[in-house]
Amino acid sequence: MSRLLVVDDEANIRLLYAEELAEEGYEVVTAAGISEATERLQEGVFDLAVLDIKLKNESGIELLQQLVKERHEMPVILCSAFSCYKDDFSAWLADGYVVKSGDLTELKQEIARVLAKKAQKARAGL
Amino acid sequence: MDWECCWDRDVIAREDCPNIQAGDEDLLLSRRRRILEKCCDCPNFKRDLDRFLESGHPLAPAFSLIHTEYQLQKTQIQSLASFLDNKTLEVRFLHELGSVLQSSVDLEEVLSVALTAITAGKGFGMNRAFLLLIDREHARLNGYLAIGPRNYEEACQTWDEIAGNDMDLQTLAQSFRLNKLSSERAKFHDILEQLSVPLSDEGHVLIKAMDGKHPLLIEDAFHHPDVAPDLARLLGVDTFLLMPLHSRNRRVGMIIADNCITHKRITDEDMRSLENFTFPVAFAIERASLYDRLQVELSRVTEAGNKLREQQELIVRMEKMALVGRITSSIAHSVRNPLMIIGGFARSMLKNAADNDPKRDFIESIINEARQLEYVLDEILNYSDSLYPTRDMWDVNQLVEAAIKDTSDRLHSFGCESSYLPDGSLPPVFVDFKQLSYCLRTMIMSDIEGHNGGRIDISTYADGDQVVVRVRDTSVRLSQEALDALLVPFSTTLELGSGLGLALCKTMLEKQGIPFSAQLLPERGIEYTIVLPTRKEDQT
Repeated sequence: MSRLLVVDDEANIRLLYAEELAEEGYEVVTAAGISEATERLQEGVFDLAVLDIKLKNESGIELLQQLVKERHEMPVILCSAFSCYKDDFSAWLADGYVVKSGDLTELKQEIARVLAKKAQKARAGL
Repeated sequence: MDWECCWDRDVIAREDCPNIQAGDEDLLLSRRRRILEKCCDCPNFKRDLDRFLESGHPLAPAFSLIHTEYQLQKTQIQSLASFLDNKTLEVRFLHELGSVLQSSVDLEEVLSVALTAITAGKGFGMNRAFLLLIDREHARLNGYLAIGPRNYEEACQTWDEIAGNDMDLQTLAQSFRLNKLSSERAKFHDILEQLSVPLSDEGHVLIKAMDGKHPLLIEDAFHHPDVAPDLARLLGVDTFLLMPLHSRNRRVGMIIADNCITHKRITDEDMRSLENFTFPVAFAIERASLYDRLQVELSRVTEAGNKLREQQELIVRMEKMALVGRITSSIAHSVRNPLMIIGGFARSMLKNAADNDPKRDFIESIINEARQLEYVLDEILNYSDSLYPTRDMWDVNQLVEAAIKDTSDRLHSFGCESSYLPDGSLPPVFVDFKQLSYCLRTMIMSDIEGHNGGRIDISTYADGDQVVVRVRDTSVRLSQEALDALLVPFSTTLELGSGLGLALCKTMLEKQGIPFSAQLLPERGIEYTIVLPTRKEDQT
């Protein structure tokens, strides 16, 4: 079972992600901000992180940069209310980008794609 | 003694004096006036004087002497009166000329007046005149305008025309300007083009005359030591007058005038009159030239002022837009999250609801409405983004490939086939890649929503200095009205839903100066064409 870290400042969105992604067979751990996410990351290993970009007074892009630097083996998907970040250079560090929607199909497909790619790389010994 | 002349009679009959003409009848009764005006010049009176002299009267020689002296004085007075009349006419003419020149700041008008004055019979009556002006930028004296006939027949025709119309100088000049200025310039184009002398050529007769500041009459030009044979041949006359134009010690130009048709002698008096004429002309030409430059500078300043005002308005507008952008962004964040939560949980509830649950319809309504609101939100945010294009050089083929990749899953899900034919040798294009990517995705996806099948063919190719991207979509059949509506923001068509889509593409591309066209294909579908610039200066 793949472990996912979901970082979003909205409690209801964290709840929605947790329920929907758990239904897909993932173990979901949530965090409301960068400091909480850092704590969760210290507690255990995750196969993938889903980050919101606007985190109250913090930036998900900063957390993304930190994760790429410190945990480059863990893929990250940005899930934001803003479609404009999709073409932003700083967002290109992420492995995937999904605009937030009540229909989580795209997010679920993106998670599956990124995890499959990660597994493929692992098999190839990269 | 019987006198032959009637001087000794107080009253005479008309037949008594051969010098009495019609209109002189009052002289028949006025002996004093008759003697002074008629008898003194009469041969009969002369013979009477001779007989008086022969009579040996002691007063006779003195009388003859006084008579001779009187005739001489009378001739001189008549000559002076004639001179005075001529001068009066000249002063009037110069006054008229000065009035016209002072009232005009239009260079063409001033030149028309000047050249008309030289050649008109009411003016100086020269046959032909050339005007040369100083080109300060290139330090040359160049032929600018000429007036006059090129042959005898043309001269007769022109003079007949002028004689038939009793026009004053100003009217003549206006008529010349309106009807003949261009044709005269063209007529003398060959000569004017060759009348070009560097100001540094101090040995040239034109430069010498200009530096001399006074009119110079050139006679026997073909053998004149100072006149280059080329100049004499070019003008085709052996006598011509050079009149330098100076204004406040600044060289303005030169007028060359001649009587190439009548060959009338140019007198010293003509030269003095023309010298007086050159001062107001030179001043008027310089003033008109300065006014022209002033107008150019004024239009530059006005243009700069307009640009500045536009920039200020743009800054104000951008500040407003930036504010709108921030507000929109904030709203988007505030609205999208609740929408996501509503839509997301509604979907969860729907999944868990039994098939016969009466609340399923309500939940589906919530999901549909939330989805619709998300579409609207996307479009508003895209429109907000389109306000700030950031252009740079990009590989168009990579952008197209990325757009195809982004849309491939959805194309497949609608059973739509696609092909891409890139031109691998294309230069980079100068575009905002985010906006172009959005436009490409929109063009690819705009028609397939809700339609199964069809085909999308995409190609890129060079067209001169530009790169063309063509998207040919045969997935849908549209009416022209529906297509037109699609290109208008926030319009709705029954066929393709509602929103900004293609209208936003059009707006975005046009903001970057990129032509965008959407045309219906004869059989079925739409062909989109965008023409991308490859140079920064191509942008508008």
